[in-house]
Amino acid sequence: MFTHLFRLIWNKKKQNALLITEMFISFIVMFAIFTVVVFCYKNYRQPMGFVYEDVWSVNFTPPENITNADSVAIFHEALKNTLRSMPQITELSFSGNNIPFSMNTSNTAVSYGKHKKVMANVYNAGEDYLKVLNMKMKSGRWITKADAVSKNRIIVINSRLESELFDGQSAVGKTLGDDFPGLDQQNASQLHIVGVVENIKDKGSYQEIESGMYHPIDTGWARWTGTILLKVKPGTDATFESKLFKTLSNTIGTNIEIEHLDKKLISKNKIMVVPMIIAGVVAGFLIINVALGLFGVLWYNINKRRGEIGLRRAVGATGNSVSNQLVGEALVLATISLLLGCFFAFQFPLLNVFDLASGTYIAAIVLSVIFIYVLVTLCALYPGKQAAAIYPAVALHEE
Amino acid sequence: MIPVETTERIHHTNLNDNNAEVMIRLQNINKVYRTDTVETLAINNISLNIDKGEFLSIMGPSGCGKSTLLNIMGLLDNPTKGEVSIDKQDTTKLNDKKLAAFRNRKLGFIFQSYHLINDLKVLDNVELPLLYRNSTAKERRQLATEALEKVGLSNRMKHFPTQLSGGQKQRVAIARAIVGQPEIILADEPTGNLDSAMGNEIMEILLQLNERDGTTIVMVTHDENMARKTHRLVRLFDGSQVQ
Ligand SMILES: Nc1ncnc2c1ncn2[C@@H]1O[C@H](COP(=O)(O)OP(=O)(O)OP(=O)(O)O)[C@@H](O)[C@H]1O
Ligand SMILES: [Mg+2]
Repeated sequence: MFTHLFRLIWNKKKQNALLITEMFISFIVMFAIFTVVVFCYKNYRQPMGFVYEDVWSVNFTPPENITNADSVAIFHEALKNTLRSMPQITELSFSGNNIPFSMNTSNTAVSYGKHKKVMANVYNAGEDYLKVLNMKMKSGRWITKADAVSKNRIIVINSRLESELFDGQSAVGKTLGDDFPGLDQQNASQLHIVGVVENIKDKGSYQEIESGMYHPIDTGWARWTGTILLKVKPGTDATFESKLFKTLSNTIGTNIEIEHLDKKLISKNKIMVVPMIIAGVVAGFLIINVALGLFGVLWYNINKRRGEIGLRRAVGATGNSVSNQLVGEALVLATISLLLGCFFAFQFPLLNVFDLASGTYIAAIVLSVIFIYVLVTLCALYPGKQAAAIYPAVALHEE
Repeated sequence: MIPVETTERIHHTNLNDNNAEVMIRLQNINKVYRTDTVETLAINNISLNIDKGEFLSIMGPSGCGKSTLLNIMGLLDNPTKGEVSIDKQDTTKLNDKKLAAFRNRKLGFIFQSYHLINDLKVLDNVELPLLYRNSTAKERRQLATEALEKVGLSNRMKHFPTQLSGGQKQRVAIARAIVGQPEIILADEPTGNLDSAMGNEIMEILLQLNERDGTTIVMVTHDENMARKTHRLVRLFDGSQVQ
């Protein structure tokens, strides 16, 4: 029966080419959609790796009159003491402006051994940064106050960067080279790793975890540092926020901005989710369109073939075998389209087109294949059932 | 009214025998077609026994119900009333699966308009009935080739039906009807679309099948000459048997 189906389809290759093309395009569209969905879902399944609830960020413009290293240090110390004196604040740390869920990024290329120019996010972090965000060390230690003034440039890297650069070995104690622009050349290739911290999903719930490294806020950077992360007690309210605002305005000056990390996460996620919803709606319409098209073509084919169906019934086909044959034909056509589609789809992981994990593509391919088969089966089932119900005499009579 | 006519029997063998086996038994068959506006009584209370090995022809004016009767005999259509037994099996009680198996094993059909599948080559068309029973590809190939040899078309096996003449098409249809070695062949105006030379050729094949293989044949025809060559003629008029 199978070879019979093939022969029938082969002899009608011209009529079937259109249907195959339609299924092929549907597959490609679904493959694109599923790739994004699988990518986001995989990221979503990753733990955040830190606690962002009850974490506030304070952004300020560093006062212009404080310029030399000593006065900056004094200013920072005073600011810290003021904040620490508030019982609602349990932890605090200075930070670069690329705090979790912000729109800012800062990155660089680092190299180790045969791994050249690997991109990594660069975070400037104070000694209590780890505690404010409740991040976890994997090995080694976190940045200390002494690191900021150390002759060696000290860094802590995240677990993702460790696995990318060190092939399963521990990174602690190793030295990295980098091309950090603007650094004096003698230090440029001297990044001493003292610790590895667990990954955090600081770009949003659906974003991929990226490689990252944490620098202490050394004297060179301190002057430009304008962000503080605060951990407050649960339930701390707007009353305290306005008090905090006033206090900071008195200490620092104008341009104070206080944000809550949980709210920043929501708006950050929207950036990812809104286009996905739009794409989903568009894809939904496309699928309905394709389904109607498939349904229409199959319906038309079956009506055009009533004589054939009647004849098959006359020579011994049951209603079910007629309907199975029609569904089977549609599935054979789908298989041809899918083989074609898979050939294209597999180029993505093979050529590493978008730098996604090949598992993501393969999951997307599998999902698209299942989707198309289900869609085709559903579209063929009803016309098939209709065909099965045709009385052989009636079908034969019509020709 | 059209006179009753029974043609001279070619074979006087067991057909006159009272204990001849009945192959097809129609009992009080009625068929009513209902459309939105009219009710057509296409078959009006016909009872008919057709013996094993008999070659029966059916004649009658257009629209008198010949095809309808043949379709009922061939289990392609249900009678509105009455019973159809084939080879002592009451077919009214058969479900779709059993009916299909019955058509496949017992019956072969030949139609005026051939009903070949144009997208399949001649050989594949002839193989068709065998697809619906247990058979290997090799067996199918062999039986289909033999059937095509019988109708003298072994040189056209790889052609598509559209590349054949009407007579050739009908011979393919006959090959398809006989490939499963059915005991009964039902032919609805098999020569209706053919010229007389071609028609005679087809008729010869049918006669041979009847004589050599003992196949029971029921043939609808408009041609008195064809009918005369069969054992028995039944005339229909307005859905009734006039005899
Ligand atoms: N599917 C149907 N629906 C309604 N009426 C039908 C149907 N099939 C046949 N009829 C009617 O039943 C009657 C018998 O039709 P049938 O096809 O059996 O005639 P016929 O004797 O084979 O004619 P012809 O010699 O022209 O082939 C006709 O009046 C026809 O209009
Ligand atoms: Mg007719």
